Amino acid sequence: MSESEPSLPPILPELVPAPERTLRRLFLTLFLRGRGARGLNKQGAPKSVGQKLALSLLLYLLFGCMALFFLHQPVFALAVYLHAMTFVFLGMFVASSAGEVLFNKEESDILLHRPVTPQAMLWAKIRVLVEVSLWLAGAFNLVGLFVGFGSAGNWRFPIVHLFSTALEALFCTGCVVLVYQLCLRWFGRERLEGLMTIAQVIVSVTAVLAGQILPQIVLRMGHVLNVSEVSWWFNLLPPAWFAGFDDAFSGSALLGSWVLAALAVGVTALVLWVAFMKLARDYETGLQALNETVSTRVRKRNHRRWLDWLVNVPPLSWWLRDPVARASFLLTAAYLIRDRDVKLRVYPGIAPVLILPFIFLLQNHHHGVSDAPGFGVPFSGIYLGMVPLFGLQLLQYSQQWQASDIFRVAPISGPAQLSHGARRAVLCLLAVPLLLLVGLMVWLMVGNLSQLVLFLPGLISLPVFALIPALGGYGVPLSRPTDAAKSASRGLNMMLVMVVAFGLAQLASISWSQGWFGWLILSETVVAVGVYSILRLAVARKRWTADE
Amino acid sequence: MIILDQLTKRFGAQTAVDSLSFEVPAGQIVGFLGPNGAGKSTTLKMLTGMIEPSGGRATVCGHDLQREPIEVKRNVGFVPESGAVFESLTGLEYLEMVAALYRIPQNAARARIKQFIAFFDLSFETLTDKLLGAYSKGMRRKVVITSALLHNPPVVFFDEPLDGLDANAAVGFKALIQTLAREGKTIVYSSHILDVVERVCHRVIIIDKGKLLLDGKPDELVAAHQAGTLEKLFTQLTGGAELERRAEDFARTFRP
Repeated sequence: MSESEPSLPPILPELVPAPERTLRRLFLTLFLRGRGARGLNKQGAPKSVGQKLALSLLLYLLFGCMALFFLHQPVFALAVYLHAMTFVFLGMFVASSAGEVLFNKEESDILLHRPVTPQAMLWAKIRVLVEVSLWLAGAFNLVGLFVGFGSAGNWRFPIVHLFSTALEALFCTGCVVLVYQLCLRWFGRERLEGLMTIAQVIVSVTAVLAGQILPQIVLRMGHVLNVSEVSWWFNLLPPAWFAGFDDAFSGSALLGSWVLAALAVGVTALVLWVAFMKLARDYETGLQALNETVSTRVRKRNHRRWLDWLVNVPPLSWWLRDPVARASFLLTAAYLIRDRDVKLRVYPGIAPVLILPFIFLLQNHHHGVSDAPGFGVPFSGIYLGMVPLFGLQLLQYSQQWQASDIFRVAPISGPAQLSHGARRAVLCLLAVPLLLLVGLMVWLMVGNLSQLVLFLPGLISLPVFALIPALGGYGVPLSRPTDAAKSASRGLNMMLVMVVAFGLAQLASISWSQGWFGWLILSETVVAVGVYSILRLAVARKRWTADE
Repeated sequence: MIILDQLTKRFGAQTAVDSLSFEVPAGQIVGFLGPNGAGKSTTLKMLTGMIEPSGGRATVCGHDLQREPIEVKRNVGFVPESGAVFESLTGLEYLEMVAALYRIPQNAARARIKQFIAFFDLSFETLTDKLLGAYSKGMRRKVVITSALLHNPPVVFFDEPLDGLDANAAVGFKALIQTLAREGKTIVYSSHILDVVERVCHRVIIIDKGKLLLDGKPDELVAAHQAGTLEKLFTQLTGGAELERRAEDFARTFRP
């Protein structure tokens, strides 16, 4: 070798760790570093596992500070909040990671011909999932332990809560593993991938929504939250069982709490036994099935067919006359429907868009305001107008970003038509359904259909917001590596757009109450048409640059 | 060293490998050939214990594939066609992880890895600092080959091992496997690059639709079928004889 040889890192005295330990270390490293390095030109030393874990723990610890709001609440209320939030965070975390950890196709090519059993692999993975869940749960609940201790000087609460949190972490991991095992057993490999994606997206979206709404609800009803007074359905929720455990050993110790505590222990034991013992053999079958290169039947791609139909009938056929925009529309739509990575990024990313309108509408509803719309409805409309902006921001990232080289190789001078296709796909598949959903929400909560007219400021600004990604050079779908999604400037842009949205909503609210809403709509339309025309022109003139 | 007896693999109603039987003695390099979907990779995956056979039996180094899968795995090295690695590990982390799975002591593993690094002209900095995700295809392939040979297995399966290797590395690799065979290792070499197979392998086995079509020494088979080259013999056997004419017809469709 001609190159100078820096010495290899020092090694410890002769050690041959057991394969189980090696696997556990491997999966922990992969888990914490993620698989995002794929295809990236990542120079330099790898990130430290310790640093990354410490950062995650710190974030969870900070989230956990919200428990301070429960300083003077009863033990059961605090425990319900802590367990509910732990359940949400862990559920989201384990659900989003477990599929990739448990069933990774490439991993079978790397490990299955090595002298390790699939059972050893399963146990190593479960150990890592449980370990990381416990650390995260511990970090999230740390402040809560002191709050519980400080509220009533209850020294038993920290000990009992630590135990119940560990139990809850085991329950969450067990449930997710069990779902995958059952999917594999009942539906086979053919449908496993699709089911895994659906399950992950549902759990992630629910977790994001619940994570935002739950603290508000628990805070509102905290003072009346008592184990003997809650509705029967409340006791069916898993966080209530673990909260009951805390209440039984360190709170009211009512009979209801003991029943909930028994449920927590019994159900967790059952889930763990079924997931990790009874169905362990199915895991081996599943791993081997991932290696099968022959498909037993050709899957029908119904969504592809309806997409083809959709773009071939008016109005989309008129809207997508340009073949490049049409191809970009189909590509974006296919990824929004099929690709697990994109779905897991886009849908949970869009979900918070529903939260703020919901909270404002809830406040309006709570105050019993029906004639005066307040801030909620116009804000919902304008916030919805930003959905394409959020969607396109998230859609530019993909694990297959290198395939987007085809756009630059193709004889198209710039990204304009690609951006337009993606924009239209986001409008059709995300913005319109969300608009209908929030419209329904407004109708149900405000009870006055006439107030839907307050959506107009948002709808008028929607085309302008939707053009911003194309103008900023991030409108080309699936063209950037997923690691680039952590850019700080992106957050700043979003902040600016949100300030504009707040301002516009405020203006709409004032104009409605003072009777000049019509003038606002007219002037907004004029301004929007002008800005839209200028932006379209600017986007059309854009050429490929080095970083696209 | 390797014995297949009516080895079969079915996926639902489809038979990927159909009652395949042959033996490979120690020290032989066998070219394992077939068109796409012939069942080569499935056979290799069965012989390395990655998937279970549906029927028949096989032994590797005297160990039964179904009864002693871990012993079989301990005695084989495998370079899969995918060239998959854990991309968020560095090269050194990956190779040390593999060594640990074969219970190779850390000092011995380091020494062995150093020998491979020298052979493949890889730099230490690359191996210790860069994640495998940042490696070029060729470098990654070198790491995968190293990981297959690290534990010095008596039987090695290669599935398209030259994919991504540059010309020099490919020449070095071919010389390496020929020397390994002379040292007594059994090598099963699956590839679509037939001139390499013709030059390197002592024997070729051609399969199609999961069934054995031909088994023998390359020069003898070519002579017996008066094919001229192994490539021509292969296309004759696997229904590719019309390919040249079809290519010409298709090329005409490009005329303006």
